[in-house]
Amino acid sequence: MKLDGTNTLAAPIETVWTTLNDPEALRRCTPGLQELKEVGPDTYQATLTIGIAAVKGTYSGTLRITDKQPPRHYRIALEGSGGAGFMKGEGSVDLEPQGNGTLLRWSGDVQVGGLIAGVGQRMLGGVGKMLIGQFFKCLEQRLGSGT
Amino acid sequence: MKPAAFEYFAPRTVEQAVDLLAQHGDQAKVLAGGQSLVPLMNMRLARPAVIVDINRVDGLEYIVAAPAVLRIGALTRQRAAERSRLVAERCPLLRDALRLVGHVQIRNRGTVAGSIAHADPAAELTAVLTALDGEVVARGPGGTRVIAASDLFVTYLTTSLDPREIITEVRFPALPPGTGWSWMEIARRHGDFALAGVGVVLALGGGVITEARIALTGVGPTPVRATSAERLLTGRAPSEGLWADAAEAVRAAVDPDGDIHASAEYRRHVAGVLVQRALCEALTRVREAA
Amino acid sequence: MGTRYVGARIARNEDPALLRGRGLFVDDVRLPGMVHAAVLRSPHARARIHGVDTRRARAVPGVLAVYTHADLGRLGAPLPKLIPHPSLIHHKTQCPLASDAVRYVGEPVALVVAESRYLAEDACDLIEVAYEPLPAVASVEEAVRPGSPLVHEDIGTNVCARYTQQTGDVDDAFARAPHRFRERFVVDRGAACPMETRGVVASWDARTGLLEVWDSTQAPIPIRNGLAAMFGLLQHNVRVVAPDVGGGFGAKIMMFYPEEVLVPWAAMRLGRPVKWIEDRRESMVAMNQEREQIHDAEIAADGDGRILGVRTVFLYDSGAYIPYGLIVPIVASTTLPGPYRVPSYRCEFAAVFTNKTTVSPYRGAGRPHGVFVMERLLDRVARELGLDRAEVRRRNLIQPDQFPYDVGLIYQDNAPLRYDSGNYPLCLERALDLIDYAAWPARKQAARSEGRYVGCGVACYVEGTGIGPYEGCRITVEPSGKVVVATGVGTQGQGHMTSLAQIAADALGVTPRDVSVHTGDTALFNWGTGTFASRAATVAGNAVALAAQAVRERARRVAATLLEAPVEEIELAGGKASVRGVPARAVSLGELAVAANPLRFAMPADWDGPGLEAVRYFTPPQGAFSNGVHACIVEVDPETGMLSFHRYVVVHDCGRVINPTILEGQIHGGVAQGLGGAFWEKLAYDEQAQPLSTTFMDYLLPTAAEVPALEVAHVETPSPLNPLGIKGAGEAGVIPVAAAVAQAIEDALEPFGAHIAEAPLSPSRLRQLIAEGRRTP
Repeated sequence: MKLDGTNTLAAPIETVWTTLNDPEALRRCTPGLQELKEVGPDTYQATLTIGIAAVKGTYSGTLRITDKQPPRHYRIALEGSGGAGFMKGEGSVDLEPQGNGTLLRWSGDVQVGGLIAGVGQRMLGGVGKMLIGQFFKCLEQRLGSGT
Repeated sequence: MKPAAFEYFAPRTVEQAVDLLAQHGDQAKVLAGGQSLVPLMNMRLARPAVIVDINRVDGLEYIVAAPAVLRIGALTRQRAAERSRLVAERCPLLRDALRLVGHVQIRNRGTVAGSIAHADPAAELTAVLTALDGEVVARGPGGTRVIAASDLFVTYLTTSLDPREIITEVRFPALPPGTGWSWMEIARRHGDFALAGVGVVLALGGGVITEARIALTGVGPTPVRATSAERLLTGRAPSEGLWADAAEAVRAAVDPDGDIHASAEYRRHVAGVLVQRALCEALTRVREAA
Repeated sequence: MGTRYVGARIARNEDPALLRGRGLFVDDVRLPGMVHAAVLRSPHARARIHGVDTRRARAVPGVLAVYTHADLGRLGAPLPKLIPHPSLIHHKTQCPLASDAVRYVGEPVALVVAESRYLAEDACDLIEVAYEPLPAVASVEEAVRPGSPLVHEDIGTNVCARYTQQTGDVDDAFARAPHRFRERFVVDRGAACPMETRGVVASWDARTGLLEVWDSTQAPIPIRNGLAAMFGLLQHNVRVVAPDVGGGFGAKIMMFYPEEVLVPWAAMRLGRPVKWIEDRRESMVAMNQEREQIHDAEIAADGDGRILGVRTVFLYDSGAYIPYGLIVPIVASTTLPGPYRVPSYRCEFAAVFTNKTTVSPYRGAGRPHGVFVMERLLDRVARELGLDRAEVRRRNLIQPDQFPYDVGLIYQDNAPLRYDSGNYPLCLERALDLIDYAAWPARKQAARSEGRYVGCGVACYVEGTGIGPYEGCRITVEPSGKVVVATGVGTQGQGHMTSLAQIAADALGVTPRDVSVHTGDTALFNWGTGTFASRAATVAGNAVALAAQAVRERARRVAATLLEAPVEEIELAGGKASVRGVPARAVSLGELAVAANPLRFAMPADWDGPGLEAVRYFTPPQGAFSNGVHACIVEVDPETGMLSFHRYVVVHDCGRVINPTILEGQIHGGVAQGLGGAFWEKLAYDEQAQPLSTTFMDYLLPTAAEVPALEVAHVETPSPLNPLGIKGAGEAGVIPVAAAVAQAIEDALEPFGAHIAEAPLSPSRLRQLIAEGRRTP
């Protein structure tokens, strides 16, 4: 499924870039992130519990940041598997200055498979977009949202 | 399809239930009708470590008509509400919606409160609560609080209830005498999740609409109250053209997801069609009541 | 032989026990010391397996074993190839457990055996499989595109077979034809969804060397023979029982599903009975599916709408493996000509691998596709030439005096496709009459003027049934006078305990209640091929008739000796043999059975062996051809695309009818499945071949609220190919439904110019077709 969104952050582009690349900040905006361990340059091992309401699954896998063009652009690839299935996604984040703040555009292609895909197709797209949106909303709140 | 292991408690009072939830926090799930929770557990999509079965808690199964409001206890089964004379007299919109909740077998076990707490994006009862500006009473470690429908539904399958709270009562405002109502939905088969559903309440006075309530289900992560369409209708004389305008306003106000059963465009389109038809039916009922 | 019971609408012998919950289904089998199995299945449609770590799973208390491919030894080889065909170049079958690759979501990777199914599933959660996911092939069109991923990397292609059938000179016909119309038809995947999923219980006794297997299968005898060969056991030491089976519909006829091999093997390894019951989610990904075909079809006609030629090229989705061969596409190719005179015809297909669940026949087995293509092509002819749809059919129907009618093709049984008997014009007229077709234009107009959109659809078909190779039957009269019938076909709800009893009862002069029919137990009868292709009543039924006739003759000979009368004077009725005209000189069947088995003295030379028992086989020379016509009236709400049925008529000819109630049950069930395939049931997969509709929440079976009341009328043109004159009826209900419904919807939506060339449809899709229709003149 293809997902995308836009956020406005009340911080200069360099600050946003630093925050996005800070594992602590990522951890704080991803409540289910149980482990984020750097295992190589821009490569992390991650364990993430993700879901909605009672429907939760724990996924273990890898997160890779590529095509870094500070402070404007990077690509992210992740894949993880767990009891409820697996997921695989890749996407990009683009930043551009907007007034005193930054405009953040994200887009990605996420594939979900296994049990959760076979049962949850009714809500998977909407929930996926919502969860990713929550992450960027959290960042927005941490950095203050601009006008 | 066997669930993962869990600890099981069957409290006899609300206090015991709340204590258990306080103790176990988000490791626990409340079991009432089980019509949504148990399949999720059997498929191992949900693996609560603790189940708090409230089916033996006393004093939660009732339907009481207070002035202007129907108070429904948390263990009242959907089928009981559907067949209740009080519900038919005071809130026929709720009765009509209940008839389309799943199948009789599901309604025999499923509870009104459970459906609301589960907050499925295509549920009927959440939309009815939203249309009528109803509320729920929740009890938790911090005590009792009342949550209005407009503050209750957060997103897919998520309410603003704390994991340590349980709903003890659901309150549906009664329809004033002379109002018309209609519940309509489109589903692939009888009893299926609605592709789109609409609940409408209409009141007339002096030849114009004095009150219009429109709530939709199946067109977003939570029930949608179509306030822009309601404003458009208020103070105007009913007509086919007005219904068509309301339908367009509703279409502009919803952003449905598509899935394998129906595209987003289809849901948006039929949401408008249902609004038109429901307004028409509600008006007929207003005239019949007069 | 009297015909008192054959043709009668009697209550079923099997019902009292079933309705009281006293049936024995596989899950009812409980054996001392029994343990439970669960299967770990691939979540990927295509992946390499780099390793399977079962240590944590094996450590769970209560787990007896966790098996992977490495444990299987010889048994890890690919499972048998059924029904080879010279054109099936790449006859790939799966291994019981995947070794280094998985090719569909649901493919078995490990087997866990534990004290309970709960514990077995807990252990499955702890098995770690190192998958390397690969891009998957999710559609037949993708599969044949150059550069697509390969489902089987060693063969360099995704096409496993190409086959062409033809008769006449079709290119010449098209070159000369005044009218040629071309269409593309898409039929999507569906699943059989029997009420009872699959299940196997196996028990091995090392001391007696006996392997007993209860298997919810349609073909217990081939399973037994296969297991005996696989495990190096005497066939006589393997017993396979298909007990009460809650529906099969084709999906339970495999040899083997992996579990049918793994469970007996595990029972033998562990020395404890092992039970495996498939849950519904597994069934939706691991029980074989069917129905995906894309046809590029053309019809050539003259100015009167007469068919000059038909040609089609189609892609057939076989899924990840092709154990069952080319039956489905061959049946589709040979069903297409239908009840019409088609002077020239060519049908080419390519069978293609995709990374989806394996395909094998599901009720209809390709016939629905053939009918959909032909009926929609005829509708196109009618529309383009301004002719009435029923009239176009009438003009092309094979006439009653043209039988036997040689279609010019080879059928799925490798025999020439030759229709034995039928009265196609009569069936069409009956259907048109029942649906009141003559008044239809006026009724449609009246509805339109009320702003309602109603449509009528009529579809005709011919169904090949009753094919060989053979079935057999042993009939025994017991000393009690009860008659025992044992045959090799299995029963999944077709009412064999009654219909076969009716046949035996007529021959022996007893009531069907006195006849006890046993099917599906290799210990009771061990020659046969199984219940499939609408053949049990025809082939087993005729074997029953032959055996009953032989027992009848034997009974008369014994009675002649006892009653001291000529054999020609002996009659059988009311459970007795008597001398014609002298009812007082009579002896009961039970007494005859005792007398036929003397403990002392010599037996008369002409008695030919003891007892009242006979074994007979029936080998049909070719299939018998049933036919029918469905007609329906639907209403479409163009704003919502919702459909409602006003009427549904079935006119059906399966030759001589044994039990009208049972027949109607078959038809009702088939129509319900056909309606599912027309408007509700669609197996959805995403672009990486992930199944998206694995529960009944998303795979929509029509319920009693959706299926309309059916009006069924019978025509009987007996088959000359068997003594009973019967033809098969098992699949008929499903075959023309999608075609009739498509035509009716198109008729209803005519003002919008919506064109239907696919199945299944949906309200959302109808809205889309309406919108597209408006844009074309």
